[in-house]
Amino acid sequence: MNCSDLHECIDPFLDNEVDLTTAQKIQRHLDECAACEGCFASRLALRHCLQTPQLRFVPTADLRARIHAQLQKEIYPPSTHFNWLPRFQFPNWILPTLAGAAAVLIFWFGSAPFLSQLRSSSRANGALIEQLVSNHLRSLAADHLFDVASSDQHTVKPWFAGKLNFSPPVFDLSEHGFKLIGGRLDYVGDIEVAAVIFQHQNHYINLFVWPGNQSNPLPNTIFQREGLNLYGWVANGLTLWAVTDAEPEALKAFVQLEKERMTE
Amino acid sequence: MKASVLPMNDQERLTRFESELLPLMNDAYNLARWLVKNDQDAHDMVQEAYLRAFKFFGGMRAATSKAWLLRIVRNVCYDHLRERQVPSGASDSNQEELPDADPSPEAALEIKSEIAAVRKALANLPDDFRTVLVLREMEELSYREISEITQVPIGTVMSRLARGRQHLTDLLREMRAKDLL
Repeated sequence: MNCSDLHECIDPFLDNEVDLTTAQKIQRHLDECAACEGCFASRLALRHCLQTPQLRFVPTADLRARIHAQLQKEIYPPSTHFNWLPRFQFPNWILPTLAGAAAVLIFWFGSAPFLSQLRSSSRANGALIEQLVSNHLRSLAADHLFDVASSDQHTVKPWFAGKLNFSPPVFDLSEHGFKLIGGRLDYVGDIEVAAVIFQHQNHYINLFVWPGNQSNPLPNTIFQREGLNLYGWVANGLTLWAVTDAEPEALKAFVQLEKERMTE
Repeated sequence: MKASVLPMNDQERLTRFESELLPLMNDAYNLARWLVKNDQDAHDMVQEAYLRAFKFFGGMRAATSKAWLLRIVRNVCYDHLRERQVPSGASDSNQEELPDADPSPEAALEIKSEIAAVRKALANLPDDFRTVLVLREMEELSYREISEITQVPIGTVMSRLARGRQHLTDLLREMRAKDLL
């Protein structure tokens, strides 16, 4: 083997990609030829540099959660948000029974005209509340709490900016015990809404936000459904509903903080 | 094996996918970051690669899942570079990794550090050379795996590595010479 032969196979030799006989020939040449040995030594030095851990790039801590959230969205797309229903395996009789009960209630309320004012608003709220409850439960059950996981309001707010034509309020309330943990896109009916997610001790709060004040929530009332507490209000041209399994007192404190921050 | 016999629901499929491929996330990110040379884009590339991988999971065709995933990462990054029409390698003079023409004392000091110099030189190699060097030296993959990832014959992998290393050695020598002036 001469120097030009060696030049051809010095890289495969370095990479351990030559057969044993060739390797032995190369080794013999390197032992005899100082120039080639120098060349090989510089290849080894280069490899040593390239393999230092400082040359590797490391992703941010939230990348895994981002990937996971995106894949979850892939198998539970938001447009099919009622798909979770069949997975709960309701008994066959329950839907007709509920429908019957609803008909009786509607008939009963319908026969009391003096209640009509209250009825229309509470019925509208009733449907809305059922949806918010199911959105909240689904966000926990499907392990799809957020699309963007971050406790930094300056990450979550711009994330929404690229996806919605309104800007939901995103505040970091961690000093008051309500830790911002992320944001998600969701649907209420066919309206696209922002969900800002907070953690309070072991409880999660979904704050749903969408433009307009048409839902006319009953002021200063905490609604209770299926162990969840809900509170809705209107501010700055936005409708806001906070949904949580935390205590009503905690929900009140949270809403108070949101209201204060929004008027600042 | 069972997967081909038993139907998997989406959740099971996702769980299997994640347990097999999420451990490779740092390798995927390192490759993407070296290819697109920007933190934000590299994160997006990895996310996109995982989405594509999930869609084709099951029809996986490569010797190892690492080679399979890195091939997707490499393709996503190359698509992105083509879209951005970033001229490859030494000609992209607007890259953050380039040493300044007139380096500040701190920058000059940094160039003297071997690692910083190698980082800059590697960032300035043409994409094809940088790709094979990252895969061989940092990921320690075999020629065969690199050939699967880059979709070129093993002979091409070999010559790209040889030329890439020579190129890198020359660049480093040049940088040091400039630094001495």
